[in-house]
Amino acid sequence: MNTIEAIFEQMNEVICDPGLIVKKYKEETRKKVIGCFPVYCPEEIIHAAGMLPVGIWGGQTDLELAKQYFPAFACSIMQSCLEYGLKGTYNDLSAVIIPGMCDTLICMGQNWKVGVPQVEYIALVHPQNRKIQAGINYLKSEYAHVKKKLEEIGGSEISNEAINNSIEVYNAHRKTMREFVEVAANYPNVITPLKRNTVIRSGYFMEKGKHTALVKELMAEIVKKPVEKWNGKKVLLSGILADSKELLSIFEENNMAVIADDLAQETRQFRYDVPQGKDALDRLARHWSIFEGCSLSYDPEKKRGGIMVDEIKKKGIDGVVFCMMKFCDPEEYDYPLVKKEIEDAGVPTLYLEIDQQMENNEQARTRIQTFAEMLSL
Amino acid sequence: MYTMGLDIGSTASKGVIVENGKKIVAVATIPSGTGTAGPTKTVKELFSQLSIERKDIEKLVVTGYGRMKYTDADKQISELSCHTKGVHFLVPTVRTIIDIGGQDAKALKLDAQGKLLNFVMNDKCAAGTGRFLDVMAKILEVQVSELGELSAKSTQEISISSTCTVFAESEVISHLSNDIPVEDIISGIHASVAKRVSSLAKRVGIQEDVVMVGGVAQNSGVVSAMEKSIGMSIIIPELAQVTGALGAALYAFEEMKK
Repeated sequence: MNTIEAIFEQMNEVICDPGLIVKKYKEETRKKVIGCFPVYCPEEIIHAAGMLPVGIWGGQTDLELAKQYFPAFACSIMQSCLEYGLKGTYNDLSAVIIPGMCDTLICMGQNWKVGVPQVEYIALVHPQNRKIQAGINYLKSEYAHVKKKLEEIGGSEISNEAINNSIEVYNAHRKTMREFVEVAANYPNVITPLKRNTVIRSGYFMEKGKHTALVKELMAEIVKKPVEKWNGKKVLLSGILADSKELLSIFEENNMAVIADDLAQETRQFRYDVPQGKDALDRLARHWSIFEGCSLSYDPEKKRGGIMVDEIKKKGIDGVVFCMMKFCDPEEYDYPLVKKEIEDAGVPTLYLEIDQQMENNEQARTRIQTFAEMLSL
Repeated sequence: MYTMGLDIGSTASKGVIVENGKKIVAVATIPSGTGTAGPTKTVKELFSQLSIERKDIEKLVVTGYGRMKYTDADKQISELSCHTKGVHFLVPTVRTIIDIGGQDAKALKLDAQGKLLNFVMNDKCAAGTGRFLDVMAKILEVQVSELGELSAKSTQEISISSTCTVFAESEVISHLSNDIPVEDIISGIHASVAKRVSSLAKRVGIQEDVVMVGGVAQNSGVVSAMEKSIGMSIIIPELAQVTGALGAALYAFEEMKK
């Protein structure tokens, strides 16, 4: 196995069994692990506390217990996260941070407190008025609360300097991931849609410094290869997430490359660096104020469509696929506006419903194939 | 020179043979779809109509839900692209296609040259599809093929839910127990399908000429309910159930020319 394949394999192992990764990490380091719910958590504070932040983004599991708490129209990410919590899958975590970013996440925090009392719940609420000073001050106070909770769990104070150092580690990771998606766009023959997702998603279960080093090693190997011409179509995926192995394989089968994304689980996480400054919590709070292009960050100017159109033009994207998380209100609200801006720019779009519990992808296959034919025939 | 298109659907298999990409020379429909002997029977039927064999077919393109499993084709193309091709061949002025099949409903938007611009499909739900009509016909103890004729005799349309086949089924049962005439219930069922599918079609933007295909296009009751719902007249091509197979045969001809 060459270096590239070995790195892909290593990353694939991480995403295939995060539970095992957490167990091993705890045994080897004697450190604590904190779960981070979608969509944005101040991982830097956890990192500064010497703990491992891990992403919690649901998964494909049968829903039996979660239905006691959630109605059928709650999104599948939240349903499966709660299901795992109720079944004890997350018992190795010392706590979870649940940001109340949408109606379902708000309920999630309350459900968690009652249903999964063995894993401590740390509440976090992002301000809607994120650009005004009061909003920044408010978010800073929320982060101070998160910090205090983590200090209680860890038994020691988290210094301003430590958080600032962690912010540097995270900004370096963000920069590396931005470079990675550029490399992936140039090498679609090597970095398939599934591999692209694997590289990004593995970052949720590894210490960020280590992940940065691994992604850099991977990129260094890939860029040694000559850039091959891509004969298929180039798409941009938009939405909360598109991490189903089967679904991503359908893109590959239909000769479509994911050249860019606007997914909350992927590019939106590393599009912007945490700004410079001295006061670490203030820096993290200001990060949210400069954040753009996400359905979860309130934006009266609706810049998301424009951001995507710029990306489409820059990368020569042939089509945009809206991976619409079923029952995700924030994404559904944005969809008509964003779709119009993209179609006005002359780029066709596809609406694809995403449900993590979906086991039969035949309908998605027909849609993706037709879209591929629409772009080529 | 013959090319063939095979459309293996969820409830029926359809086949068309085209001569030189211009003339339809054989058409077959067998009412059993993917996973059955339907596709084989369809092919046999087509060959017997022309007294030919597989070797006489230059290229074969397969489409429909069962396209992945059929091994004897030169290429597989999605049914949406094939319907687009087939309908545009029959009705060159078409700009919107409404296709209601056994278990899905689709609306397609075409440009003046017949290129597919956009499409929408129903989600994982039987409401507004052929299956919905099958279920209703069963409770009403009539044949699906009789539905159109019966609804024409309706004097008052009954409101039936368009959201869910299971809910609609219990609504129909309660109407039956209240002695509402079957014709009026059928008329309500057709309106329910039309509401569901026209809202789908409105999402792609309906432009004339509107063509309806798929098995359900043979039901005159659904067609007139659709016309009422979208406020436009609908063209039903003579070969409405086989436009997918026709499109596949035409693609096969293009494939041959490559």
